[in-house]
Amino acid sequence: MSHDSGSSAGAGVESLSLDLLAHALAGVRDPRDRKSCRLASRAFARAEAASRRAARVLRREALPRALRAFPALSSLDLSACAGLDDASLAAALPVPGSSAEPPGLLLPVRRVLLARASGVGWRGLEALVAACPRLEAVDLSHCVAAGDREMAALAAAGLRELVMDKCLGVTDVGLAKVAVGCPGLQRLSVKWCREISDIGVKLLAKKCPELRSVDISYLKVTNESLRSLSTLEKLEDIAMVSCLFIDDDGLQMLSMCNSLQSIDVSRCHHVSSLGLASLIDGQRFLRKINAAHSLHEIETCVLSKLSTIGETLTVLRLDGLEIFASNLQAIGSTCKNLVEIGLSKCNGVTDDGIVSLVAHCCDLRTIDVTCCHLLTNDALAAIAENCRKIECLRLESCPFISEKGLEPIATLCSHLKEIDLTDCRINDAALQHLASCSELLILKLGLCSSISDEGLVYISSNCGKLVELDLYRCSAITDDGLAAVASGCKKIRMLNLCYCTQITDAGLKHVSALEELTNLELRCLVRITGIGITSIAIGCTSLIELDLKRCYSVDDAGLWALSRYSQNLRQLTISYCQVTGLGLGHLLGSLRCLQDVKMVHLSWVSIEGFEMALRASCGRLKKLKLLGGLRSVLSTELLQMLQACGCRVRWVDKPLVYKG
Amino acid sequence: MEGRMTSLEATMKASSTMASSMARNADPDQQTLRSNSVEQFYFPRPGQSLPGIPPFFGPPSSSLYLPNDNEAKFGNQFESNPSQNTDWDPQAIVSNLTFLEQKIKQVKDIVQSMNNRENQVAGGSSELAAKQQLITADLTSIIIQLISTAGSLLPSMKNPLLSSNPAVRQLGNTLGSPMGFGMNANQRPSVDSKTDIPDTGKTSDYDELMNSLNTAQDERDELIKCPNPCGGEGSEPTPMEDHDVKESDDGGEGENLPPGSYVVLQLEKEEILAPHTHFCLICGKGFKRDANLRMHMRGHGDEYKTPAALAKPTKDSGADHAPVTRYSCPFVGCKRNKEHKKFQPLKTILCVKNHYKRSHCDKSYTCSRCNTKKFSVIADLKTHEKHCGRDKWLCSCGTTFSRKDKLFGHVALFQGHTPALPMEDVKVSEASEQPHDSEPMNEMARSMVYSFPSSSSDGISNLDMKMADDVRGYFSPLSFDPCFGALDDFTRPGFDISENPFSFLPSGSCSYGQQNGDS
Repeated sequence: MSHDSGSSAGAGVESLSLDLLAHALAGVRDPRDRKSCRLASRAFARAEAASRRAARVLRREALPRALRAFPALSSLDLSACAGLDDASLAAALPVPGSSAEPPGLLLPVRRVLLARASGVGWRGLEALVAACPRLEAVDLSHCVAAGDREMAALAAAGLRELVMDKCLGVTDVGLAKVAVGCPGLQRLSVKWCREISDIGVKLLAKKCPELRSVDISYLKVTNESLRSLSTLEKLEDIAMVSCLFIDDDGLQMLSMCNSLQSIDVSRCHHVSSLGLASLIDGQRFLRKINAAHSLHEIETCVLSKLSTIGETLTVLRLDGLEIFASNLQAIGSTCKNLVEIGLSKCNGVTDDGIVSLVAHCCDLRTIDVTCCHLLTNDALAAIAENCRKIECLRLESCPFISEKGLEPIATLCSHLKEIDLTDCRINDAALQHLASCSELLILKLGLCSSISDEGLVYISSNCGKLVELDLYRCSAITDDGLAAVASGCKKIRMLNLCYCTQITDAGLKHVSALEELTNLELRCLVRITGIGITSIAIGCTSLIELDLKRCYSVDDAGLWALSRYSQNLRQLTISYCQVTGLGLGHLLGSLRCLQDVKMVHLSWVSIEGFEMALRASCGRLKKLKLLGGLRSVLSTELLQMLQACGCRVRWVDKPLVYKG
Repeated sequence: MEGRMTSLEATMKASSTMASSMARNADPDQQTLRSNSVEQFYFPRPGQSLPGIPPFFGPPSSSLYLPNDNEAKFGNQFESNPSQNTDWDPQAIVSNLTFLEQKIKQVKDIVQSMNNRENQVAGGSSELAAKQQLITADLTSIIIQLISTAGSLLPSMKNPLLSSNPAVRQLGNTLGSPMGFGMNANQRPSVDSKTDIPDTGKTSDYDELMNSLNTAQDERDELIKCPNPCGGEGSEPTPMEDHDVKESDDGGEGENLPPGSYVVLQLEKEEILAPHTHFCLICGKGFKRDANLRMHMRGHGDEYKTPAALAKPTKDSGADHAPVTRYSCPFVGCKRNKEHKKFQPLKTILCVKNHYKRSHCDKSYTCSRCNTKKFSVIADLKTHEKHCGRDKWLCSCGTTFSRKDKLFGHVALFQGHTPALPMEDVKVSEASEQPHDSEPMNEMARSMVYSFPSSSSDGISNLDMKMADDVRGYFSPLSFDPCFGALDDFTRPGFDISENPFSFLPSGSCSYGQQNGDS
């Protein structure tokens, strides 16, 4: 496609209007293809710049240019922007109120993603809010340092959506700032903001009547919060994962609110079937229920109430509960429109139960029966027979499943996109059957030690759309299998080859043909060296995450190649590698997107080596894993600098153990 | 708070008895030895244990957080807080001690001369009596000088050293008490036993002595009671009132005794406002508390030292027959005045006092923190000061609240109001990194306090507690309120100081790394 656009781009393209070109470009989905278009013709580049709605900025140096180049930008993703801090953010944004600039120059951005942008504080947010008058949604999740002042800065924007998961400094005061400043708030997530209490939630419920979605997971709130939230007339979606002070009374209070569509009470240990039943009772639109790991078992009171919402309920997650065949039968007969059911780690799930469940639920697309040890091929046969639309099957740790069960699945369910067969003792014959699922995107075969290159050849022959392949500890896999995969499944983005110890540099040479590869895990591949890593670095330029832990033979040569070619690398694990301070320093100094490095037990790197390398990369790193002993020998200025840049260091005290 | 005060008073009493026993003790050698040992308290050398008092001076380094840095730490504290050093003047103390030494010698000479004269029995009885009176007067003045000098030593000693080195404090205390006991139990002071002073002369002189003793003690109390003499707030010495018996209201409310079922007493204004209520029948000295009077009475003779005399007077002795007594406020027109038609009597004298001061007196005590709130009862001021500045729940409209839920209720009620961020919040981002840094310091303070063997005496264990506060207070010259946590700006100087001692360490040292990071 890119070549078509490119070759036709000439004087003719230039004469077309930007609107038309933008319309044409809208049909081009793949970002790589769009890039080809941009490179082929200035007209396309202009059209794209003018019509571009979303941008994901990876480096802070590129931010000012990106903001200037895309005037129609409405969604800005800064979550992976390396080294972003208040100063660089404020400098990139236009300053409002300056007389020279007309108001039109302010950014039309509505949505900003700042997840894990730990360097951004309230000053940056104030500048952002001032520069983006139309700002509606902000995601500040995992900015652990963010507190009330940050929230006060955001509250000035009058947001509709705000996600502040794990903003650990936010207290009731910060929440009150948001509640008062954003009366039109529709979606709010305060997951893990442990300082927020009932008082804050009460004010929120009073000040933000438009709230539709609230996530109060992991808060220390009590039933009082649910009483306050039940006054919200438009509330549709409520999540309260692991709210340990909430019990049945709270759910009873919440049932006053009858517009609910989705309830998540997972891991609320004090919630029982009775409370859930009372909550379900008044509802008419309930579509999702997640009661995983909360109730001990599902009792008849809940099952009987399910009939009132049987028509609407599509998602039911009951992970970790005691479930019997009779329960599943009751669920199947009442909730005929179920699309997804989660039964992972449920004791008592048998073939009979699954058979009676799927007999009525023919719309099921996702079935999660992870760790249901009793299931056999009969259950799979029943699923294949009844649920032809099945897309996702999670069968991890179902030891009685074999190729005989997978055959009907593969032949009857042509829509299958994801299958998890981790730890399932299947063999190449099963893969031969699965190869007929040409839509397959995700295939997980971890711990299936009996599959070999032959199975991979089957898969690669027909599953060209495969995006994720997990071969964790498939120790029979060799370089030949990888050659087949690389030739047949060009779209693979995530590849896990940990502990496939037979793989050598030659195998990695094949892997390097996967241009779209973003995540590659090569843990404990003792035979690979810097040569293999070099070929990966040159071939897989999109690489974002690389795990080289315990690749004992990987040396500086590999790091040199990575620092030269893997400019998108964000996450790197090189613990136990045979690298020196020189290579490390060069690596950390030159990779501008690198944010998360785990480097434990680099016995060849001196203290000065660590010091220099960390200093070289100081402003960009967000997460570090280092040996605990280094803490006392690294200079305090360095540690302070790291802290000031929002980098969190995890000090580990593990003994030096060589495996493999 | 009260516990702290009483323990302090106990300390002071112990030390005053120590001083008086020193004064009366006629043995000069022993005296010099004593004063030497006193001198050594002021120059403690870590690791050196004093003869005779080993347990309190064990090597402190063994239990301290940072071995071998004890001295460096103290030195640094002095550097960082030079204002605290002003009272600690070794030269002044040395001169004071020399003065003491001289005076003790004088006392000894006089007593010896008295001894000689007694043996002679030459002159007439009247002449002897006159001489004895003269000598006693001499003695009295010398002893007063002695005590006041000894007393002046103590406040200067308590500032830097007492707060930084609990051992000194404990030493002073424990040294004091056994000597005091020794005086009471074993030997009568030579002045009393050897000279046969006529009763008439004795009482008056003795009264003077005791009075001066008490006044000297009072002076010291005044000085000691100011808990942080060098620090910013709270440095104003505050006279102590009966703040322990704090009535929530003026009392008598809701009692509803039928009129006539009780006797109404009305004290006069002067009586109510009198600083003392308990007076010594012998010397006339006034006290705020009966217990203090009883302690005082011990000095007037053996008959006041019996357990019966020292015991707390039992209230129920005649309570069955005595009519119920209630009190009336002397202010005419007050509801508490018996003339008022809806008269509500006051339950106790204390109620009367507090009521009269609160309702009919000027509010002369101003809060030193906010400078706005005024009180007429000092206990009210103390209560207020405990909470003053804690109204940190501030609304954008400027209203403050002591409780978060009240603020949020206010915010919920009014459109556009939001909780305001505290002013120092800007610094919190930096300050929040500090607390774990300061932790080792506090821990060190704690280990310092508890590393000393606890004594059997209650006063000393109280002192331990006091020291825990004191050490902390010392780190921050401004008042340190632990409840404020990292939010309080006042804690900043404390952290600054606590950081300094570590800067002496080599950065590579292991202990530093372990303490500072979050594991």
